Amino acid sequence: MLKYIFKRLLLSVLILLGVSLILFVLIQNMPSSFAENKINEMNAGGAIVDQATKDAIMEMYDMSYGEWLLRIVTLDFGESFTQSMPVVDVIKRDMFVSFLVAAIATVFEFMIAIPLGITAATHQYSFRDYLVTVLVMIGISLPSFFFGQVLKGVFSTGLGWLPSSGLGDATQSATGIAYILEYIKYLILPIMTVVILSIGGRMRMTRTNMLEVLNSDYIRTARAKGLKERVVVFKHAFRNTMIPLVTSLAGLLPSLFSGAIITEQVFDLPGIGNTAYDAMIVGDVPVIMGYNMFLALLSIIGVLLADLMYAVVDPRVKLQ
Amino acid sequence: MKKDNVENNQVDKVSEIPEVETQDTETPLDRNVRLMSPTRMVVRRFFRSKLSVIGIIMLAALFLFCFLGPVVYDEWGEIEVDESPMVEYTSKTIEYEKNGKTHIIYQITEKTEKENALAPMSSVHPLGTDETGYDVLARLMYGGRISLIIGFISVFIITVLGVIMGGIAGYFGGVIDNVIMRICDILMCIPGFPIMLVFGTVLTAFGEMESPNALQEIMGDPQYRIYFLMAFLTLFSWPGTARLVRGQILSLREQEYMVAAEAMGYSTSRKIFKHLIPNVMPQLIVSMTLSLGSMILYEASLSFLNMGVQPPYAAWGTMINAASDLNILSNYINVWAPPGICIVIAVLGFNFVGDGLRDALDPKARR
Repeated sequence: MLKYIFKRLLLSVLILLGVSLILFVLIQNMPSSFAENKINEMNAGGAIVDQATKDAIMEMYDMSYGEWLLRIVTLDFGESFTQSMPVVDVIKRDMFVSFLVAAIATVFEFMIAIPLGITAATHQYSFRDYLVTVLVMIGISLPSFFFGQVLKGVFSTGLGWLPSSGLGDATQSATGIAYILEYIKYLILPIMTVVILSIGGRMRMTRTNMLEVLNSDYIRTARAKGLKERVVVFKHAFRNTMIPLVTSLAGLLPSLFSGAIITEQVFDLPGIGNTAYDAMIVGDVPVIMGYNMFLALLSIIGVLLADLMYAVVDPRVKLQ
Repeated sequence: MKKDNVENNQVDKVSEIPEVETQDTETPLDRNVRLMSPTRMVVRRFFRSKLSVIGIIMLAALFLFCFLGPVVYDEWGEIEVDESPMVEYTSKTIEYEKNGKTHIIYQITEKTEKENALAPMSSVHPLGTDETGYDVLARLMYGGRISLIIGFISVFIITVLGVIMGGIAGYFGGVIDNVIMRICDILMCIPGFPIMLVFGTVLTAFGEMESPNALQEIMGDPQYRIYFLMAFLTLFSWPGTARLVRGQILSLREQEYMVAAEAMGYSTSRKIFKHLIPNVMPQLIVSMTLSLGSMILYEASLSFLNMGVQPPYAAWGTMINAASDLNILSNYINVWAPPGICIVIAVLGFNFVGDGLRDALDPKARR
């Protein structure tokens, strides 16, 4: 077990090195005059980027891979010239909103998808089963930007129930519970978008696993013993259905923090995806680089955790 | 239904013991048994599922709409602005009190716009015009062409790359396999959409260079940006296909017919491309159909974020982007909803067909 983890960690480091190399090559291919122009543009526009920041950014273009690597190992991704603060702080600041949306959405996703998936499996070819199929198809084929706009059109500009974009109203100065309620109002639509689009996949996963388990021999034995159907489904079958679900929960780690670029863009949420998009528009290279490395790191940890979880949840699995 | 079952049983029987029974001339078995080639059985199974038929119809309609549509509906081009002047009346009521009497003044201003922008649905513009005065229906057709063509090209490239890399890895194994699979691991860990942001920035930077060389000039041209972005995306998307092909080849490699091929002294490329790849084809076709849908979504998302097809040219994603204007979002649904519906039809169509093909091509499903 320890040997396996060690081996996997080594491999993860190798993968991270590969990812960073690709990113580095991409940035090195960018003409250095670009950042200089952008900074000059910003200075002309009234924002003052001081000379030290400018030098720090220009330095990035002259660095060798080794030097750059040494810096990112110490989590120094440089300075963002649009936000005039270190990239790490930018990520830390914007991560919270993205995490909030993703975490609440994930909870809802699991709470709705698992029961529906189970009933779809136990009532195969029934109405519920077709409902699952339809939801799966919606989840696969509705583009999030289109669905987001539809929700916005219906609930905010149409019915006027919810605000259409942003987070929090600057003119409002509510405190306590009123403040939290106000805050939540802005999050409902983005969360709804994420939940409805992701629920289908999870449901199909639950349904497939449940069907597989329900067709296995020990379930037949349990039924032959005369156990109640409820006990068979929820005690015997469900526990084994949980294995892939729990494993996939670990794999969700990157998406919890990465922020949904498009959803955040549609609803103009000040999350990390939105910041990365804005950084791309104005050419804020350090932020984009930092964001990408952050995501790569998260997805590696996610894969690693998923593998380990698999061994923890299912005692039959032996890691080698 | 009952008839169906009888037929199924017969097909099964024939596929198990075909030769001996059919050569028996005494009992004319061919009268009640239909012999079917594997291809015909696949086609039959495919068309038996209602969803795949619906998918085929959806895709056919969409292709006709996009590729033949502009031929039939040729009043407006993709970048043709309707310049028939639009007269707009705005009325304003002013109330005021003077000497105890209320006076009401109606003020009507006449404003003539150069373009017929945001026109309502009419016989001239079946879906109205957008905020610049382009005809929405015409742009829907031209935008669809771009999306569909880009989808097909990128899936083709992904498949070619995936088959070559996966084939080499699976066939040779050992160190080569290890190296290719580690490259796959790296590429799979790269976040797909964010890396496009980096590449998009690089392309923008090329576009703003003072003295670009020929290649940088082409890459920086916003008009071609979507092609370079999608090409870049294909470079990161082949590992999925490669893994599929590799896994399949690893199991096929050990079968007897491959030993026979070895004994016959066939060349390596012949063994790979003539004997192994055709056996991977069923899974490959399914994954290609399914990824067509996701590629169209990718292209649309990029266009939505203004990174793809640039105005004045049309793409479905770019057209939906018009809805970021709250006025258009709530008052001009005819501008942004149709492209969204088109995307949904395209992706659903490919998914239905893909699912149908998966069931039809599955050799274990003897139905």
